[in-house]
Amino acid sequence: MKILLVEDDATTTEYVVKGFAEQGHNIETASDGHQGLLLATSMQYDLVILDRMLPQLDGLKLLAALRATGNQTPVLILSALSHVDERVKGLRAGGDDYMTKPFAFSELLVRAEKLMQRGNSAPAQTELKVGDLVMELLTRKVTLAGSEIMLQPKEFQLLKYLMEHPNQVISRTLLFEAVWDYHFDPRTNVIDVHIAKLRRKFEELGFGELIETVRGAGYRLRQGH
Amino acid sequence: MTLIIGTLLFGMYRQLINEQELQTNQHLAAEKLRYQQMALTLDRRSFATQIRTADPKTALVVWRSSLDLVGALSLMPDDMPLLPETRDFPILTSGPDKLHILTGGLVITRYGPVLIATRTDQLATLIERFVNAAITALMLTIVLTLALGYLFSKAILRRLVQYNRLSRRIERGEYSTRLPVSWRQDEFDMLAGNFNQVLDTLEANLHAVRGATDNIAHDLRTPLSHLRIGLEQLPQRPAEELDEASAILIEELDHCLATFDAMLSLTRIEEGQQDLELQPLSLRDLCQDLFEMAEAMAESNGQTLSLSLDQDYSVMGDKYLLFQALFNLVDNAIKYSGEGAKIEIIQQDNEILIRDNGPGIPDDATEKVFDRLVRLDPSRHNKGTGLGLSLVKAILQRHNARIELSDNQPGLQVSIRFS
Repeated sequence: MKILLVEDDATTTEYVVKGFAEQGHNIETASDGHQGLLLATSMQYDLVILDRMLPQLDGLKLLAALRATGNQTPVLILSALSHVDERVKGLRAGGDDYMTKPFAFSELLVRAEKLMQRGNSAPAQTELKVGDLVMELLTRKVTLAGSEIMLQPKEFQLLKYLMEHPNQVISRTLLFEAVWDYHFDPRTNVIDVHIAKLRRKFEELGFGELIETVRGAGYRLRQGH
Repeated sequence: MTLIIGTLLFGMYRQLINEQELQTNQHLAAEKLRYQQMALTLDRRSFATQIRTADPKTALVVWRSSLDLVGALSLMPDDMPLLPETRDFPILTSGPDKLHILTGGLVITRYGPVLIATRTDQLATLIERFVNAAITALMLTIVLTLALGYLFSKAILRRLVQYNRLSRRIERGEYSTRLPVSWRQDEFDMLAGNFNQVLDTLEANLHAVRGATDNIAHDLRTPLSHLRIGLEQLPQRPAEELDEASAILIEELDHCLATFDAMLSLTRIEEGQQDLELQPLSLRDLCQDLFEMAEAMAESNGQTLSLSLDQDYSVMGDKYLLFQALFNLVDNAIKYSGEGAKIEIIQQDNEILIRDNGPGIPDDATEKVFDRLVRLDPSRHNKGTGLGLSLVKAILQRHNARIELSDNQPGLQVSIRFS
C-alpha cells in the first residue's frame, strides 16, 4: 500500500515512516503544506496521513483543497489538538479519521489499515475465524473450539473488533470507539471490565490466554494457543 | 446656593418695591378723594384753610388759587400728571436732609388744580438699606459656599488620595487590602464597596489558581519524577524486563497527558471557546447508554447499578460532551461508593439523578468538589486527573443545566436539571 505522510515534525515523521516500512508499506513524506498538496494531487495514494498544523498551508485547508479537486483518497488527520470540536472540524473538512498526538504507532496502524481496506471493497464477510474462535456475523453465534459462547451485545462488538485485527495490539480508545459511538477518553476501566467478562467466558472453556493485555498499549487477540 | 439666595433676595426686593408703590398709590388715591369731597362741600376759604392746615405727615398739599400758592410746598412743578398717574419730583427744605424726593399728582377740583404728594424717600432709604443688607448677605453666602466647597473637595481629595495609596499597596501584592467604607453610604462608599467586591473575587481566584498550581505541581511532578527514575534505570534492566518496564513508563506518561488534555478542555469549555455540536438529544437514550456502559464496571466492583426511566425529555446538546459529563458522574459513584454499594441512575423528565449509598461527601465539600484539581482525598492516591467534576460542571453550564450535590442519607445524590 502507498501512503503519503504530510508532517513537519522530523521525530514524528521518522517514527511513522519506520513503523509503516516495517509493516511493508510504501510511505512518502512531505514536510510542508504546499509540497503535501502537490504530491497528494499529482500521485496516486491509498492513504494520506495529514498533520493538522503545517507550515505554509494549514492541514485543514490542504484537505479542503484536495477534496475540491475531487480526490477521494482516504485522509487520516493527526493533530495535537485533542478537543472534540477539533475532531469535528477535521471530519467535516473531509477527513476520514482523526487521531491526537501523542499516539501509539499500533493504533495509527490499525486506523490506517482500516481506511485503506475501505478503498478496496472486500467481499462482505459472513464469518470471522481466529484460531479456534469462530464468529458467525449473521446469526451472531460465537463458538470457541466447538462450544457456543453466549455474549452480551457489547461483548460481541468488542470481540468482533478484536477478531478483525488478530495479533494486533488494539488500544482502549479504538475499542471504545468501536463499541460505543462516543468519542472521548474515558480514563476508566470501562473497556477492561468488558474484556475481563469476555476473558472469563473464554477461561471457562480453558482459553483464558486468548486475549492478552499489553501494558501501556491495549489488548491483543492471539491467533491459536 | 448663592444663586438661590440671590434669587430669593431679588424676589423680596421686587415685592418690597411693589408694596411701596401700591401703598403710595392707595394713599394718594384716598387723599384725592378726600380733597375732591372737600372742594364740593366747603366754600373757597374753608377749602384754603383745610389745605393750609393739612397734616404734612399725611400728605403734602398745594393749591394754586388764582395767583397764589397755598399749602405745604412753595412750588408746584410743571407737567405734573393727573392722579392716579404720579411723578417723582425733588424739593429743597431747610432740614438736615435738604433734598427730598416726593411722589405726587394733580387733582382737578372746583377751585383749581391741587397737587397731592407724599414723601417716599424714607421708603427709598429703607429699600437702599435692604439692598445693602442683601448684597452683604449675598457676599457672605458666596464666601461661605466657597469655603465649604473648598473644605468638601479637600475631604473628597483626601479620600481619593487614600484610595490611590491603597491601590498602590494592592499593586505591590498586599491583596488583602480593602478600601474603607464609611457610614455615609455616598458615591465614594459605593465605589469603594464595588472595588472591594472586585478585590474579593480576584483574591478568591488568586487563591484558587495558587491551589491549582500547587496541585498541578503535585499531579504532574509525581508521575514525571517516576518517569525520570524509570528512564534512568531502564538501561540497567535485564533485557526480558524492558518491555514491561517501558510499558509502565508509557502509562505514567499517558496519565500526565490526560491531565494536560483535561485542563485544556476545561479552559476551552469554561471560556466558551469550544464550539458545541448541538443536536437534539434524548435524555432517556443518554441514560440508557450510560447504564449499558457502566453496568459491567459496577458489577466488577461488586456493586449493583440500576436504571429507572420516566417520561423522556429532549435537550439541544453536544452528544459527546454531555455523555462524557454524565459518564464522569456515574464513574465517580462507582469509584467512591465502595464495594456492595447500590447505585441508581434515575431519569425523570428534565432531571437526571445519580444516587449511591456509599460514604458520601461532607456537607461543606458540596461546592468545593467542583474546583479544579481539588480532591477530597488529601493524599491524592486515587488515580484521576482531579479535573473530572470541574469539567462536568463546565460542560453542564454550557448546556444550561444545573448540578447539585446533596446527601442521599447515606451516600451522595447528584441531581442534574436541564432547563
